Amino acid sequence: MKKIVAGENGSPSRIRRMLLGAAAIAALVPAMFGGVAGAQAQDYPTKPIRIIVPFGPGGLADITMRLAGEKLSGILGQQFVVENHPGAGGVAAANELLKSDPDGYDLIVMSNGTTIATSLFKNLGYDPQTQFTPISTLAWFDLGVFSNPEGEYKTLEDFISKAKAEPGYLNVATVNPGSSQNLAAEYFRKVAGIDVNIVTYRTSPDILAALIRGEVDVAIESPTAFSGALENNQAKLLAVTGSQRNPTYPDVPTAQEAGVEGYEVVGWNALYTLAGTPDDIIKKLNDAMFEVAGMPEIQKRFMELGTSARALTPDEMAAQFEKDRARWAEVIESAGIEKR
Amino acid sequence: METIHNLGLGFEAALSAENLLFCLLGVSLGTFVGVLPGIGALATISMCLPLTFYLDPVPGMIMLAGIFYGAQYGSSTASILLNLPGSAPAAITCLDGYPMAQQGRAGVALFLTTIASFVGGSFSIMLMIGFAPVLADFAISFSSADYFSIMVLALVAASTLSNGSFIKGIAMVAAGLVLGLVGTDISSGVPRYTFGIIDISDGISLVAVAMGLFGVAEILNNLMQDEHAVVDARSITFKSLVPTRQDMREFWPAAGRGSVIGAIVGMLPGTGPTIATFMSYSAEKRLSRNPGKFGKGAIEGISSPEAANNSSVQAAFIPTLTLGIPGDAIMAVILGGMLIHGIAPGPQLIANDPVLFWGVIASFWIGNVFLLILNIPLIGIWVRLLTVPYHLLYPGMLFFICIGVYSVNNSTFDVMLTLIFGLIGFGMMRFGFPAAPLLLGFVLGPLIEENFRRALVLSRGNLDVFVSRPVSATFLGLTLLVLLASIPQVRGLFGLIAKGRKGQAVNE
Repeated sequence: MKKIVAGENGSPSRIRRMLLGAAAIAALVPAMFGGVAGAQAQDYPTKPIRIIVPFGPGGLADITMRLAGEKLSGILGQQFVVENHPGAGGVAAANELLKSDPDGYDLIVMSNGTTIATSLFKNLGYDPQTQFTPISTLAWFDLGVFSNPEGEYKTLEDFISKAKAEPGYLNVATVNPGSSQNLAAEYFRKVAGIDVNIVTYRTSPDILAALIRGEVDVAIESPTAFSGALENNQAKLLAVTGSQRNPTYPDVPTAQEAGVEGYEVVGWNALYTLAGTPDDIIKKLNDAMFEVAGMPEIQKRFMELGTSARALTPDEMAAQFEKDRARWAEVIESAGIEKR
Repeated sequence: METIHNLGLGFEAALSAENLLFCLLGVSLGTFVGVLPGIGALATISMCLPLTFYLDPVPGMIMLAGIFYGAQYGSSTASILLNLPGSAPAAITCLDGYPMAQQGRAGVALFLTTIASFVGGSFSIMLMIGFAPVLADFAISFSSADYFSIMVLALVAASTLSNGSFIKGIAMVAAGLVLGLVGTDISSGVPRYTFGIIDISDGISLVAVAMGLFGVAEILNNLMQDEHAVVDARSITFKSLVPTRQDMREFWPAAGRGSVIGAIVGMLPGTGPTIATFMSYSAEKRLSRNPGKFGKGAIEGISSPEAANNSSVQAAFIPTLTLGIPGDAIMAVILGGMLIHGIAPGPQLIANDPVLFWGVIASFWIGNVFLLILNIPLIGIWVRLLTVPYHLLYPGMLFFICIGVYSVNNSTFDVMLTLIFGLIGFGMMRFGFPAAPLLLGFVLGPLIEENFRRALVLSRGNLDVFVSRPVSATFLGLTLLVLLASIPQVRGLFGLIAKGRKGQAVNE
């Protein structure tokens, strides 16, 4: 405290010296890092790598990416730092990446939600397919149709036949309009040919509460988000949306098996970076991702979370993105959802 | 009997050296970030979350929780001393805390808010020990219609938040509601009033509004003043911390009411401590025989909101731990931390892993005792902050506000927004427009709309749902009472009835 008071007694030179010092450091820092960025790709990585996650901490994308980041750090010998930039449907995170250089030190998590966003927004502000380049997928997950275990729906058929008997009467809960879950519900309504209300809630815990108090008939949410609820018998999983059964819940049928012909929704989280990043850096990261996805420990942890770890090559990843984009564009079109 | 046995198990776990250490670490860090304006529990917990991957689940959970409730202890410090709230819920503590500091009673205010925090925290912990599962079931039985009615009551009560012009107060509530409309509509997904700015497509950040209107505006306002009161550090003795007998008489009932309001609001998912503190303040002002003293250093005006703040934060753990339903973003992060360890909070957890459940609860109480021991000696140090010259203190505070706002979403846009709200808040201060009603309108507006619309979607447009549900009807009835009571003639009538009753009681 004394020192500060001394400064007050009029030694402007002291403050100026401090400012000059700060300016000198500020000038040095980019120079140091800039030098590294220009280094050879075979040395890559020589400094910590940032993973920009477009969601808040604690969610599935965040948890799986942090688990993988830890393994990536071990493989490549540099720290992988997860940075959360939630909000604006991933645009905030994308803008953050666009500010960096294509040197492989700034990565971003893209999800199937991005494939929806490209069709849903009139002007997304960035083009993930041309401005970004894929590295690999990490986590794959399906969605589930959930009911209250004490309620009247024991199977998906129960729900569909009631919905057909009383059109416009039943409620399906999902998170925010335009989310994967929400569009999966729109798509479900269309493929199953039923007339039900889709009620939106802010978060998946809100949906669980609504399901428990019987406010809605079923909810469409990821089994991961509801893994605790399933374990605690607060929700019953009627069907999963993947083309195959979920290995964590092998007794639960797929929607197709339960009679919703042709209905399939799969989600994924993938690692992308800026387009223009040297190919050998992409290759290095892709190899590391294959190694991570194959680790028994990662396989086990992901399975506990109700998701599965699987890597893709960059080309396969690009094809997956385009396939999903085309499908959601069609759902948005046919459901008559207004573009924003 | 079983509860006592379980609690014993819990204390046994919580009192292990490792758990005690992480509890102390959490609450100390929490107090520290709580005191700094803008830097809040959410950002700190998010930053510490990866650390818990390397810890056992129990100490990890104890530490994260400690940061959360520890931050509530610290958050009123800067409100009282500098009129800069440490966090949005503590903004209300500025109203009476800062006048107390100006009257040379900063020590008393800090002492009482610390005790109030302890009372509020302990109240909810006891509720949790005794009735957690029942309360959690009760809390989630509230439907959208019930939420709507509770929020309407809170909004109507908001009209009393400020002294001075009633019209200006209402205008500020309305301004807050309008600001709350900005962002993507939850029912339709359509962005409203965003003017194509993607940074506000999820709405304007609460932290930016609160820190701008209360923090930055206050700093600007101080720049306008030539004379600053200089506090002599030697005048701050231990004796100046001790509240008078009259203070304590006003303190206890207020802290008690605040604890109850905080617990009710806190256990409802989706509400949060800001609503709890603002509601408890307006309740105090409504109930007071002498509402004129609020805003001038009323003991009730700091005690009740502080108790409500801590009570709501502890109560928020009730649905999180017993049902796995987190009430707000902070709880969701803590829950995420448990999921990483493969732990799914819920009824099964209490049955299968009582050591974890009860250990964490026992740690809450230990943490609150730590905070009490930690905070009372700190008061003397905090009060000395006032002896730091303004031209050094305020730039420092501005710096912390900017870091704090940035850390919430890692967004520089939010920092700019805070500065803009600072300018607006400064203008409001100059022209006598109160900021507190605006903040409450901003918090409640989106909740009211969301729940109103969802209630109607679920009832197929039938408005009866708001009066046919008992909870909703009760709160709407209370709202009507509050409205009636603000008409002077009706108030007089109430007064007469109360007098008559009292007379009767004496006669009997």
